[in-house]
Amino acid sequence: MADSQEKLLFPGCMIGNRIPFIEASARKVFDKLGVKVLDAPFGCCPDPVGFQSTDKESWLALGARNLCIAEEQGKSIVSLCNGCTQTLTAVNQKLKHDAHKKSKVNSMLNSVGKEFKGTIDVYHFVRLLKEEVGINKIKETVTNPLKGLKIACHTGCHYSRPSEIMQYDDPFEPKVLRELVAATGAEVIDYEEEALCCGVGAGNAEEDVGLLVLKRKMDSIVKSGADYIAVICPSCFQQMDGNQRNLQKKFEQEYDIPILYLTEILALAMGYTYDDLNLRRHRVKPKALQNKE
Amino acid sequence: MTFVPNVEFKKKLLDVHLEDKIKYCYQCDRCTSVCPVAEATNNRYNPRTIIMGAMLGLPQLVLGAEDNFKIWGCQVCDTCDEKCPNDIELTEIFNLVKNISVQQGTAPEYYTMQAKTILENGKAIPSQSAIERRRKKYGLPPVPKCNVDEIQNILKQTELDKKLKYKWVEEQ
Ligand code: SF4
Ligand code: SF4
Repeated sequence: MADSQEKLLFPGCMIGNRIPFIEASARKVFDKLGVKVLDAPFGCCPDPVGFQSTDKESWLALGARNLCIAEEQGKSIVSLCNGCTQTLTAVNQKLKHDAHKKSKVNSMLNSVGKEFKGTIDVYHFVRLLKEEVGINKIKETVTNPLKGLKIACHTGCHYSRPSEIMQYDDPFEPKVLRELVAATGAEVIDYEEEALCCGVGAGNAEEDVGLLVLKRKMDSIVKSGADYIAVICPSCFQQMDGNQRNLQKKFEQEYDIPILYLTEILALAMGYTYDDLNLRRHRVKPKALQNKE
Repeated sequence: MTFVPNVEFKKKLLDVHLEDKIKYCYQCDRCTSVCPVAEATNNRYNPRTIIMGAMLGLPQLVLGAEDNFKIWGCQVCDTCDEKCPNDIELTEIFNLVKNISVQQGTAPEYYTMQAKTILENGKAIPSQSAIERRRKKYGLPPVPKCNVDEIQNILKQTELDKKLKYKWVEEQ
């Protein structure tokens, strides 16, 4: 079923309240592509790693509450974050297929005047771009082809895993991000550890272990000769952008590969500049893009 | 160390319809061999052992308080879930084990702090005036306010406050 009306934007806590330049790039891209999004008073998604590990029952109830907000407006959700997408997709699916859980959650939601019905869909923005906008339309908006940019793609875990829940793209060889990056004229670079996690979750328990996982990932990308890394999740963005300096200190090895959000890459291809997109806000600054037209 | 199965612990895990699947674990070690955290730590974190502990009802195998990394090292990358030949939903089981650890007060601070922030603000990262100013500069609307009372009401029903031993301001 095509669901091509307006969507409710779910930017997530991290993009909205910490790295809003990513939200700004997404809204620019949506505008150019004619994707209409509205804001809604969502709470925390909540985090599928942190909060689900802490208390699954609370995770389920708060996720359901967000879905109710969208259901009340009869609109599907488009999320800018892998984590939010996974939580909302998983909660939606679990409650739709488990009458017992649904009635338990609804008994709590009823006391705040809400009821989960299971009537809306949740999109990762990558899926929305691919399914509802389409690669051809994106190509038509490219006014500044990113010829010569060598970009490695890091999809991140919660976009397509677990496949039983996410049911989109491939759990270990995802293709859609690569197609979208290629649509800008950039060159997609292969590397061995493409399916590997960025390590942010392990870092929650012990920072050094998170860095070891990140190092394995980054070393593989360095070896590939890529100049940039495309990401579609703010947790991956922060881990990979923010921790290259720490890797450098800890392992006395140079790491200097800028991380670009897919929406930033698309916006660059649509003619927005380094300054328009506030790319100086990145920790690893994509300086080479500064003087590009 | 003697291993006495703890029936309560086992029941807690098996209550959630996972029993059917978990009993098919034949300890092949595939999960551990694909786990990036096991790799990075020389198996100090070992998902197969957690499944064994859950299967046998031996909480001391998985909840050993002397090193909470043995359960909290998991970064929930869902690689093991995909690769297990018996379709065991490992991360579902890990969630339950970690939930028990939270209630026993042995979770890493990152997790309990995040949950307290959500309990207090309805969001894991609350809005800040500096970021709101920056949003304005970028031409973004303010972040829509969420209904914190409603969220707290729900979290009192799930007893998250009690599980975290959280003290509300009026009780302090
Ligand atoms: S991969 Fe599956 S069957 Fe093999 S040890 Fe791990 S949980 Fe058990
Ligand atoms: S989900 Fe956890 S246990 Fe499974 S592979 Fe990833 S880090 Fe390892």
